[in-house]
Amino acid sequence: MTREQRLELLRLMLLQRQFEDRVLALYRQGRIAGSVYTGRGQEAVAAAAGLALGPDDVVCPLNRELACHFAKGVTVEEAFRNFLGRADGPTRGRDGNMHFGVPARGVFPLVSMLGNLVPVTVGAALAFKRRGEPRVALTFLGEGAFSVGDTHEGLNLAGVWQVPAVFVLQSNGYSYSTPAARQMVNTNLAERITGGWSIPAERVDGTDALATFAACRAAIERARSGGGPQAVEALTLRIHGHAAHDDARYVPAELRAAYADRDPVARLEERLRLDGVGSEELGALRERVRTTVEQGLLEAEASPAPDPAELEDGVWAAPLEKPDRAL
Amino acid sequence: MRVGRKLRATVEITYLEAVTAALRDALREDERVFLLGEDIGVFGGAFGATKGLLEEFGPERVLDTPISEEGFVGAAVGAAWMGERPVVELQFADFATCALDQLLTVAAKTHWRSGLPLPLVVRMPSGGGVRGGPFHAASPEGLFAGQPGLKVVCPATVEDAYGLTRSAIDDPDPVLVFEHKALYRRLRGPLPPPSLRTPLGRARLAREGADATVVAYGACVWTALEAVERLGADVEVLDLRTVWPFDAEAILRSLTKTSRLLVLQEAARSTGAAGLVLSLVARLGFESLDAPPALHAPPDTPVPFAPELEDAYLPSVESTAAELERLLAY
Repeated sequence: MTREQRLELLRLMLLQRQFEDRVLALYRQGRIAGSVYTGRGQEAVAAAAGLALGPDDVVCPLNRELACHFAKGVTVEEAFRNFLGRADGPTRGRDGNMHFGVPARGVFPLVSMLGNLVPVTVGAALAFKRRGEPRVALTFLGEGAFSVGDTHEGLNLAGVWQVPAVFVLQSNGYSYSTPAARQMVNTNLAERITGGWSIPAERVDGTDALATFAACRAAIERARSGGGPQAVEALTLRIHGHAAHDDARYVPAELRAAYADRDPVARLEERLRLDGVGSEELGALRERVRTTVEQGLLEAEASPAPDPAELEDGVWAAPLEKPDRAL
Repeated sequence: MRVGRKLRATVEITYLEAVTAALRDALREDERVFLLGEDIGVFGGAFGATKGLLEEFGPERVLDTPISEEGFVGAAVGAAWMGERPVVELQFADFATCALDQLLTVAAKTHWRSGLPLPLVVRMPSGGGVRGGPFHAASPEGLFAGQPGLKVVCPATVEDAYGLTRSAIDDPDPVLVFEHKALYRRLRGPLPPPSLRTPLGRARLAREGADATVVAYGACVWTALEAVERLGADVEVLDLRTVWPFDAEAILRSLTKTSRLLVLQEAARSTGAAGLVLSLVARLGFESLDAPPALHAPPDTPVPFAPELEDAYLPSVESTAAELERLLAY
């Protein structure tokens, strides 16, 4: 990895961190409706996987992976427009927060039902395999999705069909308030994927951005070159609660204390200092990210609200000639 | 079967063979089309709808899957997102429940929230009369009728078994095709030309009449026609063909003429498409009505197995004729 790539990795992580901090503030001010989920502590995984993808690869991010959206070229304005429910946002105000994709940039929209996107990602990879295209489809999941049947059906199909799909598991220890050990007997997901579906799975420290990037890059390239499906299990932290309303008081104090030394952003900054990246350069990068976030928010806030008169547009790609509006 | 253009029209095929012909012609014409489902390759499908297709198109286009409906319907969604035209076979329509999340959560909402077309077809044999019992004889189209983003079709004829399947495959939206398993080998008709398409969303006037309208779909169209014949009545039979979103205008137009309505369906009375049709008529057809709209449908139970029970459960020609008589006498 070049120095520039490392800096880009940091930039993406900072972008997610600062974007989400801004979003939380807006939410608490009542300027964002609904709910807000952050990926604080997990930015390295989102950024590393996103940066490791090629321009023609596709990804189905979940709810803690905004850096992956940004890595694929989704702009801060686009993301803010979705959080603010604006007419020109990716979902035109029809869905909120990080529930969006920008298909033109290879980012497909998440659904809240965990596990659903695993077989969908396998199908996208199947399309690439059928057409002989050197492309990869990647999705994220965590311990929550790992208890859902879809995940297991999807992993099984990926193995049977040997498609270029990559599964990045964010093992952050919790699903909402329930610790992993109360959801499954064996919490070593890499072991289960390898043993259960014969899919190679590497376990990495997900707070180490460089190690996570190396693992994701290797998995993606193995999938691209005909190695079949691959998985990476990133051991990571959920520093915030499940969503903005959740203060995560159920996380034991000693575990919270351990988070302090493992902040992935701080760790990467530390590592970059060894590369000779000084405080001044890091400060300038933070400032640049801050400006991008503020500019993006200003642009998004200037966007129009959606028009209720257009609500029924686009229910179907090809509406029938006489849609039964009367019903 | 490979036949020349001239010969084609003279070949008689079954409803089931019309489905196979539609799949074969779509596979020949569009390389984005591929099939996936349980036992559809080597075995040719539980009912034989994909017989011969593996041999002609190979395992890359006719994929046998594990028993994993949520998984392979989900995979079809992903492939459709990437611009492929997957056609899924569910072995029985009853198993649509296994794939409900992919159909309702992912497929149905995709275009509305992302602008991405989802050209997915899911075909499934539905309906009773073959002693299938609670898990192999259901008519679950009502789970999907009314769902924004989905289209639901129920072919009743050989021609529509071909034409609706081709239109479903051409369509950029998720289309569920409920084939009626009791019609598979019962109906015969000419092999349609490869250009035939049955327009989605349009009902078919199966029989003209002046005194009442029977709205039906699937095998019930034939039950209605026989009941009308038996009574020697002047009754119109409207075959919905597309159950969602259905042809409201055709229903209201017919009602304007006949002023009496019987909705006939094989799905249990509080499910199916009947409720949607009756709701439409209550609100927009009220002034046309000379009698309360009638509903003839099975009771609200699962489909029973024993012949005595299933025969009593399903609308028959006799029971339909009796309902019609009551309606005409009102």
